[in-house]
Amino acid sequence: MAAGLPHPLTYSVLIDQQLGLHLPPHVYYMWLAMIILFSCGFILRGRLQLVPGGLQNVFETVIGGLEDFVVLNIGEEGRKVFPFLSAMFIFILVMNYIGLIPGCDAATANVNTNAAMAISVFVYYNYIGIKKWGFGYIKHFMGPVIFLAPLMLILETVSHLARPLSLTLRLFGNIRGEEIVLVLLFVLAPVLGTLPMYFLFILGKTIQAFIFFMLTMIYLKGSLEHAH
Amino acid sequence: MFFFKRDKPSEAMELFGNVATIGMQLVVATFIGLAMGYYLDEWLGTKPWMLIIFLLLGIIAGFRDVYREAMRLQRGADAQSSGPASGPDGDDAKGGSDRQGK
Repeated sequence: MAAGLPHPLTYSVLIDQQLGLHLPPHVYYMWLAMIILFSCGFILRGRLQLVPGGLQNVFETVIGGLEDFVVLNIGEEGRKVFPFLSAMFIFILVMNYIGLIPGCDAATANVNTNAAMAISVFVYYNYIGIKKWGFGYIKHFMGPVIFLAPLMLILETVSHLARPLSLTLRLFGNIRGEEIVLVLLFVLAPVLGTLPMYFLFILGKTIQAFIFFMLTMIYLKGSLEHAH
Repeated sequence: MFFFKRDKPSEAMELFGNVATIGMQLVVATFIGLAMGYYLDEWLGTKPWMLIIFLLLGIIAGFRDVYREAMRLQRGADAQSSGPASGPDGDDAKGGSDRQGK
């Protein structure tokens, strides 16, 4: 919750002084999210049970719900691309929630993290489209009428290039804004002002992660389905 | 889980998600068109023309995206209100008719 300050004193600054690597804070918090997810994965893999309980139950609910959602929207082909989608959702969710811990900072409150993820989404859905349709993938860019094809090619290129940019800016703007509001409210009224906002921002951060996931799913659906 | 009712993302989250996506694409597509025109001008030396043409194309692309998104939402609402069994619970059929009014 310290991204709104010009020189935030977060845990990453202390860790950076210890390690002497001179990396920006969002890299450390991304690593923190990775450590959390990897350790959850390794702990769960060791003791998978037929009747889930505790942590396994939480993960099964989330991943099962997302898988149903993806299959409902894309169809059976969605199961192929589902690992990428669910990894995106959970990774962004954990990074967003880390921003709520006092002294920590959301890795997604930095443009670079989001741009990296948005570009990988862009590359991935085009890769999936080219893998499925081969050279015929260009039909997705040409529109229904053949004599309008050159115009459509430019229009589709513009709107496809706009996708990673809008993914980046939406996530960055929302998360960064929430961090700044938290810092301002903490200055105004230390705990009393921040605590109610936590409930709103837990909702907001979940929705932002879900939007990123849902848009990625829509783009993948567009590249998987037949050109109109 | 708070955001997952009956093992699927809750309706509020889908709604917020759909609403929040529409506006951004319009603005960003305009700026992408502007940037493409600007750099094409610098490359080809046709000072104002590419900028104007690509700015217009960007605006058209943005509006086209918004239109397609709205059509997608409308199809989703139609499927939800007329689908025979959209959920295991019976109140979906009743809720569908007033949901279409949005």
